[in-house]
Amino acid sequence: MRNLRTLFLNLFTWSLVLAVAFPLFWMVVTSLKPAFELFRRPPTMLPETVTFEHYWRLLTETPFLLYFRNSVILAASTTAVVIAIATVGAYSLVRFSYRGRESLAFLVLFTYLLPSVVLIIPLYLFMVKLGLSNTLFSLVIAYTTFALPYALWLLRSFMASIPEDLESAALVDGASRMGAFVDVILPQLLPGIISTALFTFILSWNEYLYALVLVNSDAARPLTTGVMTMLISAFNIEWSLLMAASVMMSLPLIVVFAFLQSYLTRGFGAGGVKG
Amino acid sequence: MSKIILSSVRKQFGSFTAVHGLDLEIEAGEFVALLGPSGCGKTTTLRMLAGLEFPTSGDIHIGERRVNDVPPAKRNIAMVFQSYALYPHMSVEQNIAYPLKKRGVAKPERQKMVAKSAELLQLTELLNRKPKQLSGGQQQRVALGRALVRDPDVFLLDEPLSNLDAKLRSYMRAELVELHRRLGRTLVYVTHDQLEAMTMSNRIAILDGGRLQQFATPDDVYNRPANLFVAGFIGTPSMNLISGERSDKSEFSAKGLNLQLEPKRFEAGSGKVTLGLRPDHILIGKGKQKAMVRVVEPTGHENIIILELEGGQTVTARTEASVRPTVGANVPITFDKQNAHLFAGDDEGRRLNLPETETDGADHLTVVKRPRKARS
Ligand SMILES: Nc1ncnc2c1ncn2[C@@H]1O[C@H](COP(=O)(O)OP(=O)(O)OP(=O)(O)O)[C@@H](O)[C@H]1O
Ligand SMILES: [Mg+2]
Repeated sequence: MRNLRTLFLNLFTWSLVLAVAFPLFWMVVTSLKPAFELFRRPPTMLPETVTFEHYWRLLTETPFLLYFRNSVILAASTTAVVIAIATVGAYSLVRFSYRGRESLAFLVLFTYLLPSVVLIIPLYLFMVKLGLSNTLFSLVIAYTTFALPYALWLLRSFMASIPEDLESAALVDGASRMGAFVDVILPQLLPGIISTALFTFILSWNEYLYALVLVNSDAARPLTTGVMTMLISAFNIEWSLLMAASVMMSLPLIVVFAFLQSYLTRGFGAGGVKG
Repeated sequence: MSKIILSSVRKQFGSFTAVHGLDLEIEAGEFVALLGPSGCGKTTTLRMLAGLEFPTSGDIHIGERRVNDVPPAKRNIAMVFQSYALYPHMSVEQNIAYPLKKRGVAKPERQKMVAKSAELLQLTELLNRKPKQLSGGQQQRVALGRALVRDPDVFLLDEPLSNLDAKLRSYMRAELVELHRRLGRTLVYVTHDQLEAMTMSNRIAILDGGRLQQFATPDDVYNRPANLFVAGFIGTPSMNLISGERSDKSEFSAKGLNLQLEPKRFEAGSGKVTLGLRPDHILIGKGKQKAMVRVVEPTGHENIIILELEGGQTVTARTEASVRPTVGANVPITFDKQNAHLFAGDDEGRRLNLPETETDGADHLTVVKRPRKARS
C-alpha cells in the first residue's frame, strides 16, 4: 500500500519534471542539429551529427551580440535602480510611521490593476516628449514602473521580518541611523535583496511588449525583440538560429541563478533575537 | 555619574497610554530597579530613557541635560535589550566590540576590553561563534557583555538575567552589584523578579498599568507598602489581604473574623478597609481564633500553610519547619496585630498606617534578605 503510494507519487513527479524539461531539451537538441536533419521524419532524438554552425552564424553574421549587450545593460541597470529605490522605500514603509503609510503601500500596487497595454501608449508619448524614445534609458524607466512595485512589496516583507530591536541596539551602541542601516539592516536584508534582484533581472531580461513598442532601432533593441524581428518573418522561421539564440539567452539566467542559489536558500539570519 | 529625572513623562501609542505621567528622580550612581507585572510599561520607560522612544509629553533629564531630543548615540548609555538584539551576522567578539568600534576605540585597546568583558561573563570560549550557535542563556550573556564593555554614564538593563539558570543568575547578580559598586554608574534595572529587585537595588520603582505605585527602598516597599497593589505584589507568598469594615472604635470585622486594632496606629476613620498581614504574622498554635488546615506545603526550611477561617476566608501562613499541622485539623491561630497593615477601601487602596507608630524596620530587613525560593 505504502509502496504503491510512493510509486504513484514518483511517477507523478517525474512526469511533471519531464513535461517541464522536455522543451528545454528539445531546444538544445534542435540548436545542435544541422539544417538537413531538422525536419526529418521520424525526428531524431539525439542529433546524428553535432554542429555549432548556428551559434557561429548567430555570433558573426547577425547583430545578436549587440542585442545581448543591450539586454545585459538594460537588465542590470533596471535591477540597480529598482533595488536602490525599493530598499530605501521598504525601510521607510516599515520603520517610520506616518499618515497614509498603508494606503501608500497599496497605491504602489495600483499599476498592477491596469493591463500594461493601457499604460504603454501614455508611456510612449511620455518618452517621445522627453526626447528619450528609442533609447535604452527609456526602457530602464519603463521596466522600473512595473518591476518597482513588486520589488518594493517583496523587500517590505523581508524588512518587516528584521527585528526592530537590532536597529535600536545599533543606535544605542553609537551608530547613526545611516550607520545602523549599513551595519545591521543591510546584512540582514541581503538574502532579500538578492532574491528581489534576481526576480527583477529575470523580469527585465524576458520583457517583450514594452521593448517592442518603445524601441525601434537596432542600437537599443534587447534580445527578446531583437531575436524575434531578426529570425521570424511572415514567410520563414529560422528554427535552428532561433533555438541557438534561445539557448544563449537562457545561459546568463542559469549562470546567475547557479551562483546565487546558495544565497537564496541560506536562510534569513534567524537567531539573533529571542523569539 | 548622572542623575536621571523624569517629570510627568507620558507615552501614548495611538490611543493607548502605556505610561501615565511618570515622575521619577534617580540619584547619580544609584541602582534602581523598575519592577512590575508584564505590560506595565517597564520596557517603554527604559526605551524613553535610551532615546528609542520619544515621550508624548513630559521631560527627561540625564545629568544636567534635557535629553528629549537627543538621539540615542549621543546619550552615552549602554543598554541590554529584553530580546538581546544580538547582531546575527557578527561573531560574539564582533558583537561585544561593536559599541567600542562605533566610538572610535583603537583595535588593540578594543580587543583587550572585549577579552575582559568576555571573561567576566564566562564567554571566552565562545568568542568566535555566531549568536544562533548559542543557547538562550549564552546569548543573554553576550548581550550583557556588549553593554558592560563600555563605561557609559548610565546602564539600562532590561531583564538581563531572565534566561539564566539559577546558579549563573545568582553569580551574575553578585557580579552586577560588584560592578555597579566599582564603576559607580547610574544603573536602571528592569525586572519582574522581585527577588532581584529586592536584593540588588538601592531603590525600587514599582509600576502597574503605566503608573508609578511606589518608589522606595526595598525595606520600605516590603514593610511600608504604599498601597494595596504594592502590598500584594511584593513578598512571596504574598500578603494576606482581607477586605472588611472598620468601626468607629477601630474594630475590624470581616466574614468570620473580628479583630480589635490599636487606634493610634492608623489614620482615624471608619468604613470599608482592607486588612493586610504577611504570612509570617499569622501564628499557629495558640489563640482564640480557630482555622482549618487546608494545605501544607513543606519547602524544607519552612512550611507554607493555607488555612480556612470560620467564615470561609482563606489565609496563608508561614511557619518554621517544625510546625507542621495535619491537613483537615482545626488549629488555634493568632494575628500579630503589631504588624498589621490597613488599606483604604477604594480603588487606590492607600495605606492608612501612621508613620510614628511603625515598628523598627531593622529586624525586618533580615526578613527581607532571608534567602527565599524565587517565585519563578
Ligand atoms: N510600539 C508599541 N505600540 C503599541 N503598544 C505598545 C508598543 N510598545 C509597547 N506597547 C504597549 O505598552 C504596554 C507596556 O509595554 P512594555 O513593553 O513597556 O511592557 P513591560 O512592562 O516591559 O512588560 P514585560 O514585562 O512583558 O516586558 C503594553 O501594554 C504594550 O502592549
Ligand atoms: Mg519589557
